[in-house]
Parts: sequence; C-alpha cells; structure tokens
Amino acid sequence: MERRTLLAAAAATPLLAAALPARAHHNEGMAQAPSFYRFKVGSYVVTTVFDGFTPRQNPARSGLIVNQPPEVVEQAMRDALLPLERMDNPFTVTFVDTGRELIAFDTGTGAGQLSPTSGLLGHNLEEAGIDPAKVSKVVISHFHGDHITGLSTRENVPVFANAEVLVPAAEWAFWTDETNSGRVPEFQRGTFANVKRRFAPYQARVRQFAWDSEVAPGVRAVAAAGHTPGHTVFQVASANDQLFIMGDTASRPELFLRNPGWFSMFDLDGPMASETRRRLFGRIAAERARLTAYHFPFPANGYVATWGEGFRFVPADWSSVV
Amino acid sequence: MTLPLARRLALAGVPALLAAPPLLRGLVPTAQAQTAPAPTTQAPGFYRFKVGNFTVTTVHDGFFERPLENFVRNAPLADVQKILADSFLPTDRMRIPFTITFVETPTALVVFDAGNGVTPAGATQGRMIANMAAAGIDPAKVTHVIHSHFHGDHINGLLNGQGGAAFPNAEIIVPAAEWAWWSDTGNETRSPEGQRGNFANTARRFGPYQGKVRQLAEGAEAVPGIRGIAAFGHTPGHTVYRVSDGSAQLIFLADLTNRPELFAVRPDYHAVFDFDPVAAEASRRRVLDIAAADRARVTGYHFPFPAQGFIVKEGNGYRFVPGDWSSAV
Repeated sequence: MERRTLLAAAAATPLLAAALPARAHHNEGMAQAPSFYRFKVGSYVVTTVFDGFTPRQNPARSGLIVNQPPEVVEQAMRDALLPLERMDNPFTVTFVDTGRELIAFDTGTGAGQLSPTSGLLGHNLEEAGIDPAKVSKVVISHFHGDHITGLSTRENVPVFANAEVLVPAAEWAFWTDETNSGRVPEFQRGTFANVKRRFAPYQARVRQFAWDSEVAPGVRAVAAAGHTPGHTVFQVASANDQLFIMGDTASRPELFLRNPGWFSMFDLDGPMASETRRRLFGRIAAERARLTAYHFPFPANGYVATWGEGFRFVPADWSSVV
Repeated sequence: MTLPLARRLALAGVPALLAAPPLLRGLVPTAQAQTAPAPTTQAPGFYRFKVGNFTVTTVHDGFFERPLENFVRNAPLADVQKILADSFLPTDRMRIPFTITFVETPTALVVFDAGNGVTPAGATQGRMIANMAAAGIDPAKVTHVIHSHFHGDHINGLLNGQGGAAFPNAEIIVPAAEWAWWSDTGNETRSPEGQRGNFANTARRFGPYQGKVRQLAEGAEAVPGIRGIAAFGHTPGHTVYRVSDGSAQLIFLADLTNRPELFAVRPDYHAVFDFDPVAAEASRRRVLDIAAADRARVTGYHFPFPAQGFIVKEGNGYRFVPGDWSSAV
C-alpha cells in the first residue's frame, strides 16, 4: 500500500473527486469498458471488480524492490514488456456470491481517497449490478490502506452498510496495538491510525477469525504471513472446483511471481513474505488451481505455472459466457 | 443505473437482433428482475487504448467451439493437448474467440474485418453488434472496413439482418490477391475442398458494396497511418496491417495465428483452416519476428480478449504477452 500517497491524497482531497476517470468517462464517447469480469467456481459466482491503479514513477529506482539493483529490476520489466518510466499498481477486488451470501474480499482504495486514478470500485460495482448494501460479509486479507480504505467514505461512513467485517486475528492484534509502531517502517506507521478510523464505523460488526477456520461455507482462511503479520489468503471450494484469493502474496506478477525471492518495500518481513510466496504459489501451480490476486493485471484471475526459479501468471481465458 | 439502454441490454445478454424498441422496453424489467439476487451476466466485451494519438478499441464477437481432433493437421492430438494444457486451456475441445479491432484516426474510423455478423439465437458467436453499441461505436460512422482475408468469420458481418450493408457509409478495402482469388470461380478446383464455399460467400457478402470496394496492392497504404503487410498462406491474399502514428505502432495480426497459445508457441503447427500451411508458417514466423523485434503492440483476431499485447520470442517459438488493462484510455 502507498502510505505516502494516502497522506498526499488526504491533503489534496478536493482535487481528487473531480479527477476521477469514471466521472469523466460517463460523459464521453471514448470511455473505457466497464471493468468487471465474471466466472463460476462450482455453483459460486465470482466477480472481479476493478478499482483503478496508482502509478509509480521510475519503479526500478525508487526502492520498490528492496533486495535487487535497479538494472536487474529494469531487465525484468523489459522482459515483461512493461514500460520502465512508470509502473501502474492495479487494484482488483474479488466478490464471491455463494447463492446465500455475497462476500467482498478487501475493499479497494475508496472513492477520491488514495489517488486520482483509483477509487473506481463503486462505479464498476454499479456496472456489474452489485449493490454494496447487499454485501453480507467483507473479508479482509490485511490492513494496508489500499485494502481497507474502501470500507468507508472520506467522511468515514460505511460503504458496505449491512456487512459483517471479518479480519484475521493476527492482523487485528498487530495493528490495534500501537506499541508495535516501532516495528514497522516509518512510511507504514499511518496504518495504525487508518485501522482505527476505518473499522470504527463497523465496531459491533467486526469479527476476528483464526487461520484454518471457515469465514463462510466453503471459504477457508489460509495463513500467508510475511507481507504483514496477519496477511491471509482464502481458499474457496464449491463442488469439485476451487479458487484461491491471494491478496498481496505477490504484488505485480511480472516482478514478484517471476522472482519470488524479491522483497517489496511493502513487505514487513521480506524473507517470510518470500517463503510464503514460494510455498503458496508452489501449491497452486501443483494443483493447477485458479486464483485471483489484488495487484495482478485486471481481470486479475488465472493460473500459475512454474517458470525457471519462479512462476508465470497465465491469465484465464476471457469468456462472454459466464 | 445511468447506463445507456444499449449497454444495459448488452449486460443483460439481450441479442441485438431483437433491437426493435417496443420489444426491448418489454424485456428490460424482466432482465433486471432476474439479475436482482445474483447477476450472472458478463461485462461488455470491449477495451480501449491509445496508439500515439489514434484510439484503438477491440470489440469481442464471442467464440466458437469445435472438436480438438483434426484441428492441427501435423501433430498428434496428445501433443496438441499438452500445449493447450500448458496454457490452462481446455483439452477436450478447441475454443476459438473472435475479437475485432477498430482504429480511430483523425480522419477515419477503421474496422479490421467485419465479425460474424448476425447469428441465430443461442449462437456463442455474433456478439460484436451488441458490444459495438456498448462501446459507443456506430457502424454508420465507420469510414473503412479493411479486410485481412475472406473467411466467413471475417466477412459475414458485412451484411446486416436484412441482407443490406452493415457498414452503409464505409469504403471496403481488400487485399488485391485475396480479391483476385475468391472472385474467380475458376480457382474453385484449386482450393481445398473445405474452403470452396468461400467463393459464393464472397460474392454474397460484398454484394451490397458494389462500387465501394477498393483493392489494395501488396504493402500499400490503406488509409493514412495504416499499411498492409502481405502474410499469404492462411489464404492466398491474407494480409496483416501496421498502424502507426509517430513512433507508436500496432500490428493487427488477423489470422497469422489462430489461438496464440497454440500457434505462436508452436509456429510449425498447421491449422486445418490454412489454405497453404507451409506458406502460412513462413508468413507466421516472418511477421512474428517483426512484431517481437519491434516490441510492437499487436492485436489478433483469435487472441484471447481483449486480444491486445505483445509477442516475445521464446525457445523455438513465440509467446503472446497480454497488455496491461488500464482504466485510463
């Protein structure tokens, strides 16, 4: 998550709402397509919904990869046909409709809150015909700002008016105890205050869950610590089908799947994040399981194949028939 | 919802053929009621990006499924299945998607090929008309239809539901070699048996455009910024196109490969639809080499939607690298 962006955004709030691309697009012939994508996992209907992106200038030389020289990062970007001067960090939220429950996995960056090019979730949800008021559960992977800020509006009004909010117990324990602030880099310390603020309006409806427990029928929490102390992924099973919802186990796949040993500046514990990445993606590759991931390119669903020392993301075929 | 009617209908999966207003007004509430508890409709299939100052829109036309058996002529089924499985594609059938590339330049609105057109209810192909409407593209405003070749899935969409011109104000640009072949029934016996229907279909589909068809010589400019590259083999005149604005470029690869997961990875595979598979393979390698060396953006007619990205050389073949999806056009 981009804490510095969040702070900058807070200072520049009035500008952001006006700059939202979705607003502009509504009145333009040359708009981008509504950005959601549907597929089935067993009898469950999964919808990935795009929240936009935050650009990062000169990513190889701005400290994003902690343990690699810029030339190596630039080569990886070149190999992936990504431009060197700017890397977009995309955000995609996964919704699962089990037929009885509508579950959101994380919440996006919030309209007009984190950056002028993100916060499009509400617009794309409307396009997808999903009413946030009908979401029965919001299940959180971890507490970085780009995952929880969308819980509430700028005025801190709940976006998911009728939802229960489920959080990993380990994540809750860490970020609700400010004595931990010395254990995180300075630029992530704002997370403590943001956690307080975002969960406050849901107070009575916040429920902690343990790893390996079910957060909903067929949806199991799987430990994935490293990126943050309580970072969690979710295994959704319906009929003989399954889906892993991977949160930030890897950020952009061209960098962190290809090179699972790379540490992101946002990984609180780089070595542990890396080990978790190898373990979980190794399992998913072996099982040929489908996945969604928060920072993978939209529609952010597909498969993982082993590739040299790392992995390759293989987007699933886009189908006009759900 | 503030969506235009056409888009709501597209979302609801209402076939565009039914697009007579009175019918539609009757259908909308039903569709909405059905989607109320759990929407199961797919997003509209279009995607926009810039090539220099040109705006490119890829528009999905659905897909067609056929048996995998006898699809690749020169490889055992098990080998083909293995290649598909490597890309996590089904191995019990071949799904062939269709995506049409539109380019808006300062002086023209161009479409490369015409889609499957109007198809019977229940067909999985023929979504282009609804998706064009969702994308805000009016077929009457298309100035040029530029053809890669004359297989039915590329020219059937020239006709509307009444058999008239689906692009009533467009000039139709065709590769001269392709026109020469399929407009001369004397070539029928020299064409593979499975392709002989193309002669009659060509006459029929271009019928309403008499006097508006322009033949394009090899390598010639079709409209400012768009030039043909001969890529014969898939058909006798199969042509791909380079779109350039300043240093930015896009290569529309048409049927240089069918699904890239199969024929870019294995350029030596010969698809059942190739007129001259050996020439097709040579063209495939030559143009994919250009695309890879130039690191050019490409679109492909049978590439996975949104069918835009890049080609890299890998091993003895190539790999399609999908382009990033951005909310900012």
